[in-house]
Amino acid sequence: MKQYVIIGNGVAGAEAALELRRRLSPEEGRILLISDESPYFFSRTALMYAFMDRLDRRDLEPYERKVWDIQKIERVQARVVDLDASRRCITLESGEELSFDRCLVATGASPRMVPFEGLDAVEDGLVHFVSLDDLDACERLARTSDRAVVVGGGLIGVELVECFLHHGLEVTFLVREPYFWPAALAAEEGEMISEHIGDHGVELIHGEELHRIDVDEAGKIVAIQTTGERTLPTDILGICIGVVPTVDWLRDVTTPPTLKGGLLVDRSFATSLDGVYGAGDCVVVDLGVDGPPKHEPIWYTARDHGRLAARSILGDDVRYEPPVFYNSSKFFDVEYTTVGAVQDLPPGTGALFRSHPDKLITQRILHATDGERRVLGFNMLGSRWDHRLLQRWIEERRGLNFVRRHLHEAQFDVEFGRANLEKMNEKEILL
Amino acid sequence: MRQKGAVGWFKHDITHRGITAWILFVLLALMYFFFYYGGRTLFGAPIPDPFTPIAQGLGMPHKWTFYGLLYTIAVVAGGVLMFRRYGHNRYQVVRTSVVIFVQVTLAFAVPWILLIFEQPEFYFSYLWPLQIEYFYPSTILEMPLPFLLYSLIGSLLIVPLLGVFYGKRWYCSWVCGCGGLANTAGEPFRHLSTKSSASWLFEKWSVHLTLLLALLVTALVVASWAVGQHYPRFEETAVSLQSFYGLIVVTMLSGIIGVVVYPIGGTRVWCRFFCPMAALLGLIQKFGRFRITVKDDMCISCGLCTKYCEMGIDVRAYAQKNQDFVRASCVGCGLCAEVCPRGVLRLENRMPRDPQETLTMSSLLSRSYQ
Repeated sequence: MKQYVIIGNGVAGAEAALELRRRLSPEEGRILLISDESPYFFSRTALMYAFMDRLDRRDLEPYERKVWDIQKIERVQARVVDLDASRRCITLESGEELSFDRCLVATGASPRMVPFEGLDAVEDGLVHFVSLDDLDACERLARTSDRAVVVGGGLIGVELVECFLHHGLEVTFLVREPYFWPAALAAEEGEMISEHIGDHGVELIHGEELHRIDVDEAGKIVAIQTTGERTLPTDILGICIGVVPTVDWLRDVTTPPTLKGGLLVDRSFATSLDGVYGAGDCVVVDLGVDGPPKHEPIWYTARDHGRLAARSILGDDVRYEPPVFYNSSKFFDVEYTTVGAVQDLPPGTGALFRSHPDKLITQRILHATDGERRVLGFNMLGSRWDHRLLQRWIEERRGLNFVRRHLHEAQFDVEFGRANLEKMNEKEILL
Repeated sequence: MRQKGAVGWFKHDITHRGITAWILFVLLALMYFFFYYGGRTLFGAPIPDPFTPIAQGLGMPHKWTFYGLLYTIAVVAGGVLMFRRYGHNRYQVVRTSVVIFVQVTLAFAVPWILLIFEQPEFYFSYLWPLQIEYFYPSTILEMPLPFLLYSLIGSLLIVPLLGVFYGKRWYCSWVCGCGGLANTAGEPFRHLSTKSSASWLFEKWSVHLTLLLALLVTALVVASWAVGQHYPRFEETAVSLQSFYGLIVVTMLSGIIGVVVYPIGGTRVWCRFFCPMAALLGLIQKFGRFRITVKDDMCISCGLCTKYCEMGIDVRAYAQKNQDFVRASCVGCGLCAEVCPRGVLRLENRMPRDPQETLTMSSLLSRSYQ
């Protein structure tokens, strides 16, 4: 019987374990799923709903607990401290060694940090929002605090802002960029979202960064200074400026794998070490001549990585092809769907921007400007879309006229609630 | 985590089976006890009847009209809560408006008006087999012909036909008063429904057995009316079965349990586990056009859909498996689609349906390697 060890029980690790079991009976393979953070796989994307009391902790677990026993997937709650690919074993913090035939590293990502001035003196009041420990810390602090500052204009940042606001805190949202989330939104969209966030009672400061953190004698945060020389008194400082692969622990192990901004894997999810694979937010995928190494710390990618890595581990001929990109999110009440290429497009690309005269509904359709004006990507705010159809149109290289004619077919709004596309104002922008 | 302050504590406590939820549970139980047993004698002790004098004071024909008033107030107040929470969702707005309208008119004003005009008190929003006595000969004989036709056509033709086209939701979460209260005043408690696979197993037996019982009782009562005078023992059995059904199913389960357990067991306990009408419509729904469509690969497994399903369906299990689905118990309230932060789910009435696969995560996964 072969032994499969999976380090990390996030979506990549858990899906890999389930995929392995789908193909291997318990007699053929022993599967160990190791996590320090939580004994059960939970939905990291749902942390904010637990914080806002809309879910209990237990609800975060996507599978009934008995599933793991029924599936004969052994859960080990421990920290892995060493990896020895030559002896094919890992070492837990307790000193216990576990041997493996195949090992999958799926340790995810950790909050990115910058050595802000005053950071060393901070003992309390600083939070991130990606782990269960973060959730604990946020809940503890929210109970006793009146003010919070959240730094970082991305998806996690706006989630944390919404949570703090829900708990009655005065929230200041510090966003370095001139409008919200330029990494994915155009100025028109970002400004609209900024306004929406402001409408909820958040003090939104654009164009300034965190400069210095001030603490009291006990090391508790009392205020921050911005680069705009603003002093913001606060009890909580939420830092949400992105994530980096959790691979530091791999630097000093007996057999360190090749790291390149993350755990480097090829298109079959194999690392530089024999028998060791990687998946999810901790890896960068080497795409060879097709493009720069890819690090995509999003839920959907990690899930697909996990399943594909499991197939690769089982000997399938896996060659990872990043699918047409898609993602979704929600900024307070505004739902967001994106498909295809919407950012970093070459000059000369066209953008058809459509906005509803009364409601917070927009569509931005990126397209080539020559020939049939092939559609390249969609950025949709405020109404629901079937990304499968949008994806298909991009794959089928459909032109802008076709897409405009058929756009209503991709609407996914609730019954009676279909956004009226006839009313949209249109504006053509040349990038 | 609950919000700060006394209000935050209360909001959490009453919706999470805290002490205030239990107090509300006891108060509701007492209210129902006095409504049903007030004025009667129980084990030799007379039970006071606080509601009949109130009803008389309000010029109502009997205490059940006063009960109807309380019920209607609850539906309207809860409806306002629904508008405030889900005003951005047209499906919820339209549906809730219909629920309020039906409650105020068909389930409250019309029966009262009928009484004023010395007609039988008839609830147009209720039909057999939910309102089982509408098929009892004793009731039928007292019905004016239009009511009788409405009742027969409604139960035998309209219910199944609309069920085929729109699923059970047209009745269970648009018209029915039980569902109406659950989806308005019961809204803050909807997440308390149990989601375990054991409860699903129980539900499949209990709801279909109740349907079977309702069919049996109706058949026996009709047969006993036709031939009972020749077979006194048979007539006795039919009468005792009729009163057994009346006490256990109509009074206890639909009347009392259905509402009293809101604060601790969630809404729709009656609808999910016992309602014969829901069972019947559920069977029709399985073969009809209604379904919930899942957008492939968009689910983030957050679990809000499952949490807020009042029928205890593990919606997330389908959503994260990219599986469009129809479950007999689904009343089509649409809240799963509403709470989904990624807009993954949509209620639809359309053919053709994908081949169905019955899913619970555990049953699905446990068979996968075998």
